[in-house]
Amino acid sequence: MIIVNYIASIILIVLGFYTVCTKKNLIKIVLGLGIVDYGINMLIVSFGFNEGGTAPIYQLSDLLNGVAPQFFVDPVPQALTLTSIVIGACVDAMALSLVVMINRKYKTVNADEVRRLRG
Amino acid sequence: MMQHFPVLAVMLLFLAAFLVEIFGSKNKVIRNGLTLLATTNALVMTLALIKPVMMNGEVISYWMGNWAPVSGYAIGIGYEVDALSLFFGILVTATFWLSSIYSIGYMNKDHHLGHYYTLFLMLSGSVLGLVFTGDIFNMFVMIEIMTFASVALTAFRNDSEGALEAAFKYLVIGSIGSSSVLAGVAMLYSQCHTLNMAQLSSILSGGLTPTSVVAFGLIVAGFGVKSYIVPFHTPAADAYAAAPTSVSMVFSGMVNKAGVYGMIRMVYIVFRAMDHSSVQMLLAVFGAVTMFVGVTMALTQHEFKRLLAFHSISQIGYVITAVSLGSALGLTGGLFHAMNHTLFKGLLFLCAGAVLYRTGTTNLDKLGGLSKKMPQTTICFLIGAGAISGLPPFNGFASKWMIYQGIFTKALTSGNFLYVIITVTALIVSVMTLASFIKVTQAVFFGQLREEHNDVKEVPAVMLIPMYIMAALCVICGTIYPLVSKYLLFPAANASLNVGDYIDKMMGAGYAEAAGVPTMLVEPVTFSFWNPVLWLILFGIVFFAAVIVILLGTNERGKILTAGEKPEAKYATFFSGEEEMFSQVGGSDLFWGFKKNWKGYYKVFTELHSGIVTDYTSYTVIATAIIVMCLFIFMR
Repeated sequence: MIIVNYIASIILIVLGFYTVCTKKNLIKIVLGLGIVDYGINMLIVSFGFNEGGTAPIYQLSDLLNGVAPQFFVDPVPQALTLTSIVIGACVDAMALSLVVMINRKYKTVNADEVRRLRG
Repeated sequence: MMQHFPVLAVMLLFLAAFLVEIFGSKNKVIRNGLTLLATTNALVMTLALIKPVMMNGEVISYWMGNWAPVSGYAIGIGYEVDALSLFFGILVTATFWLSSIYSIGYMNKDHHLGHYYTLFLMLSGSVLGLVFTGDIFNMFVMIEIMTFASVALTAFRNDSEGALEAAFKYLVIGSIGSSSVLAGVAMLYSQCHTLNMAQLSSILSGGLTPTSVVAFGLIVAGFGVKSYIVPFHTPAADAYAAAPTSVSMVFSGMVNKAGVYGMIRMVYIVFRAMDHSSVQMLLAVFGAVTMFVGVTMALTQHEFKRLLAFHSISQIGYVITAVSLGSALGLTGGLFHAMNHTLFKGLLFLCAGAVLYRTGTTNLDKLGGLSKKMPQTTICFLIGAGAISGLPPFNGFASKWMIYQGIFTKALTSGNFLYVIITVTALIVSVMTLASFIKVTQAVFFGQLREEHNDVKEVPAVMLIPMYIMAALCVICGTIYPLVSKYLLFPAANASLNVGDYIDKMMGAGYAEAAGVPTMLVEPVTFSFWNPVLWLILFGIVFFAAVIVILLGTNERGKILTAGEKPEAKYATFFSGEEEMFSQVGGSDLFWGFKKNWKGYYKVFTELHSGIVTDYTSYTVIATAIIVMCLFIFMR
């Protein structure tokens, strides 16, 4: 059932935002961002899914002659998801490298103590 | 020929980014040469588009891989340069060109400059791509590249105080914004099955489904994060202060304007939501709060660049408020203010960078009297400060006046008391901005020179040239604004309001009419209420009078007291006999009464900017939820 996908992805997004807003550990915040991303990726893939549709792999002549079945899964959201996954991985990598450097400099990864810029 | 220019400008910037990394990490000449070449090329190519786009009203379209629309369905990724895109494109390329010149002088003490220029060129390419693209997902990708490059550049001087922390906050808040844009784009795709903005606009004109309304809310919130309106503004202040100044100038000048561009593009063109008074009021309230909170926080700052960063947020509030009015006058004023903000805030950041370059500090309490040592920087700073405070004849006055008029007209026509409050807020914020800049000018450039700054010199010419260009543009845009308005602002405002024309030019003639989008011509906005030339003459006369008075007077200027010396008895009355007070009236002393009486008020805002990243993310998520909910409930 596709509705399960929607509910699951919304739950993932909400859980991610909950983590980002409440957890004080910087690494957990980064993980929360990752979870939000995964939820959105799942949402995008689900938007393109047609139950019972075939894979969208045809030759141009098939499409022009009407040989191919008209009902197939939308390939565009899958391309979008791939892009989004790559970007999400970059976000995580970059954020974690920043956390490593913050830990070296501040000797902590607690958000309450990493607050030299304020006011 | 002409249709290749936008894509070439973007691609060559990205290409140069990789070439700099390969060939320029050791060699200074290749590095600087490549950067200058790429940014100059982008500037020339965008300027060459002025004639067809701004004057003849064409839309330059370019389909990647020649995937032109088939039977009214846009398949490929398209670049669409209409007047609105080009207006922001010119700002982008000009800002990056000036910043690349400034970087040559400013960054020469740093190491690993190959990486710096790579990131710098990536940032410029992504912002330009964001402005030129006509594909909504491509826009998201460009936003992400922009965020990464910005974060890495913020942390570039990672040994300096707070740079890493600022970069982390910027990344977390920025990612929430990008995620919300991505979710919005995905929902929009599920409704319309296209990613091309012209086609989206024509499909959405048939009415918004509940899902599209949620998508609209998410996209508006996402671009709100990117333009750093309150309450998404918290990482901006940290990042602008921590980044190298040549980058702060670009951040404040262009990266937040990219968010404003996205907002205008989405609200006016893709969703055409400006007919809804709920959207107008929501954006107006956010804009007003932004300008007020920004300037309040700026008044309490002791750090030069952080103060400028908060002013930057405050000025974006003006732009958003003006854009929210939905009238041709408001939009023109908003675009003009966006342009002027790029000019004067860039100039002010460059002056702050010049001070930092020579003295090594931006702490307002440790500076003073630099006008004697850095006269040219001081003149540039005064022009910038005058412009941001809205003094005639500088450009800030012209655009602020337009915005006041726009809001007030709105208050009259709609009869809504909210707009009266916003007009008053805008005026008060302008006064507070002036007060804040008097404080900075006094603290940095006037007063007593500190002993440790006795051997400070003027900055090198390569840093002065961009400052002079921006200062000149500030004065020129303030005096010849009818021309600016005719060739830049009005075509851009017209392009945002005349959506049908844009759809027709992208998707083929008659497409908009078939979808039910009207093609209308917008009446040019006229301004006949003030004459900048008269103000300029008055300004000149006053200036000469001041010069004559100074020349007639004595040459005695007062001197710095060394440790043992006592101040003259006749001045003692003014300073309660305190020697320390006599030696320097600092910026913090200037408004001490103001500060003391409003302590409780400032305390509220200072405590909200707690520096804890989870607080900032909570503001962001809650505000996003509020925007989505308000639009979902009230937008019909």
